[in-house]
Amino acid sequence: MFRRWRRLDMNSIVELHKVVKIYELGEGIEVQALRGINLKVERGEFVSIQGPSGSGKTTLLNMVGGLDKPTSGKVVIDGTDITPLGEKELARFRREKIGFIFQFFNLVPLLTALENVELPMLFSGKLSDREIRERAVDLLKLVGLEKRMHHKPTQLSGGEQQRVAIARALANEPAIILGDEPTGNIDRATGRRIIRLIQNLNETLDQTFVIVTHDPAVAEASKRRLFMVDGRLESQPPKEVSTVSPDALKAERRQLLLAELLWLKTSLKALEERREELHPEAYRRAFLSYKTRLEKIKKLAYRYASKRREHR
Amino acid sequence: MPHTSIVAFKMAYRNITRRKFRSALTILGVVIGIATIVSLMTVGYGMRTQVKTTLNEMLGAGIILSSRSGAVDVPEHVKDMVLNVSGVKEAVPVITTLVNVGEQPVFTVGINPEDATRLYHVSLEDGRLLKPDEDDGVIFGASTAATLGIKINDTVTLNVQGGGVGKKFHVVGFLRAIGAGELNIGCFITLKAAQQLLNREGYVSNLLIVLDDPSKGEYVEQTLRDMFEDASVVREEELMRHIDRIMNVINGVLIALGSISLAVGALGILNTVMMSVHERRREIGMLKAVGAERWHVLFLFLSEALIISIIGGLIGCGLGLAGVYLIQWLVSMIGLNLTVPLLIAPDILVGAFAVAIIIGIIAGIYPSWKASNVPPVEALRYE
Repeated sequence: MFRRWRRLDMNSIVELHKVVKIYELGEGIEVQALRGINLKVERGEFVSIQGPSGSGKTTLLNMVGGLDKPTSGKVVIDGTDITPLGEKELARFRREKIGFIFQFFNLVPLLTALENVELPMLFSGKLSDREIRERAVDLLKLVGLEKRMHHKPTQLSGGEQQRVAIARALANEPAIILGDEPTGNIDRATGRRIIRLIQNLNETLDQTFVIVTHDPAVAEASKRRLFMVDGRLESQPPKEVSTVSPDALKAERRQLLLAELLWLKTSLKALEERREELHPEAYRRAFLSYKTRLEKIKKLAYRYASKRREHR
Repeated sequence: MPHTSIVAFKMAYRNITRRKFRSALTILGVVIGIATIVSLMTVGYGMRTQVKTTLNEMLGAGIILSSRSGAVDVPEHVKDMVLNVSGVKEAVPVITTLVNVGEQPVFTVGINPEDATRLYHVSLEDGRLLKPDEDDGVIFGASTAATLGIKINDTVTLNVQGGGVGKKFHVVGFLRAIGAGELNIGCFITLKAAQQLLNREGYVSNLLIVLDDPSKGEYVEQTLRDMFEDASVVREEELMRHIDRIMNVINGVLIALGSISLAVGALGILNTVMMSVHERRREIGMLKAVGAERWHVLFLFLSEALIISIIGGLIGCGLGLAGVYLIQWLVSMIGLNLTVPLLIAPDILVGAFAVAIIIGIIAGIYPSWKASNVPPVEALRYE
């Protein structure tokens, strides 16, 4: 019954061209989360993306899902270049083309399972209330939850909540469903059932999935495995994936530098505010010590950032 | 998209019921504000009506002429001179004074019975009216009689305040309340009896002047001023305007007082919706991720503020009216013989409810706007 809503053309669903995302952390420090990603996903694929935390997986998902914009490069989803779209158009694009499954399910706690599934259809306003209700019931049947549809999320188990989320993701017949660690917050056995459900939807409905995960079981179930390493996408697993990567260490160091930088700035400001109350000599000494440290950190941080640029 | 609005309202309502204690406190803030406004304004409105009807009872005329000092020293024959002024239809000599019945001061009017019936449109609760020249008879206002415990056919001594000899009167009737307000005049005796009581024969305290035509008021007033330089000449219209001004000031103060509590209520709404936005950032991000636009989110949180203010407004109006009874009861407990009539003015209720809703919108707009600005990436941020 869901098949008739599918279009039959077999063009690619996702096309990323040299997508770069740089986050400005202030003070001239920037983090390159994505370093020129090229990716093509065909209709009906089931792609998994693995990688350590901080490698840019979630950023990639944000780009494909139209939640955030790349610094440079092009994102084409189902034939539409979404890079130049405005906020309102992006919202429309998301509800028509993208379905999301989250690690923490992200259901509206105030609404029943059925109402949660109805939400995306209500936002798009294309179906009548009755059609929306019927479709939501059908979708919940499809994920095997028709008996729990009037329950609130808190009355459902993690696996059940994730199945509601999958039904919700399917609601507007999206071109692609994006998953962010869909099994990350449920036990192994339930996780297997979620994976099987995703596999099933992929095979029977030809539904395209791109899933970011730590879970090897999800990766094994997928048709194509990709690996995210320090802002790049690889088709082979990196050699030292099990140990703490030097990149992760670098990221950590960078964060510490930034934190200290911010702390120094705040301290300087506080010192300036209290200047009147302080002995001039005490003020001078404190000011100098802060200032010296600040310069040092700035230099370090800058070197860090430029090193990373050279590295590219 | 009417259904979207219904869902937004449903979600807003469920969020309010989920955080019962917090919502109750917020609603209480609005309730107190609205109730204060409603009760204060209703009392103010009652007072205004009361003062006006009392004045009408007392005057019922276009112009009052009296002596500057307020004493009973307007010669009775001035009446004939006043009647000669063109535009004057009638001039009624009266004495208004305070006398003591026992220890209780009673507002007394001395007036010829035939003038009284013409001027005051009196209706009796019990007994009969005074006959002309029935100089030993007295009619009491029903509420005064009740307070003093006087019955018909009693003999009552009226004592002049500040000493002097008292005089015995025979109670012949009780007056009913007039119009909306209660009759505030304590008792009526004949003009002649009043003059004898005060030992001021040939003099009156006021001349109540009835005009042919209200438009001539200003001319008559000016003529009388020129004729009697020592007298005070007051036009009722002007007096009413004066009283209106005073009542407006009182009303303004009451509204200002109520506004303070309303402002507190508004801050409560602001705070509650702000907290709700803060707690639900990820949920908002998720709503945007699954396709909600700015206005969907804005509407959702605005609904929350609106529901709070609607509930608060309704309860506040009800409680405000209850508050009027409370104020009445307090006043009577203190022992003041001042009954403020409870007049329920629909425009006060409707106005207060509208104010509640407007306040809800104003207090809700900023946090709702904040909510609509939450970026969709919040959905994928885990802390």
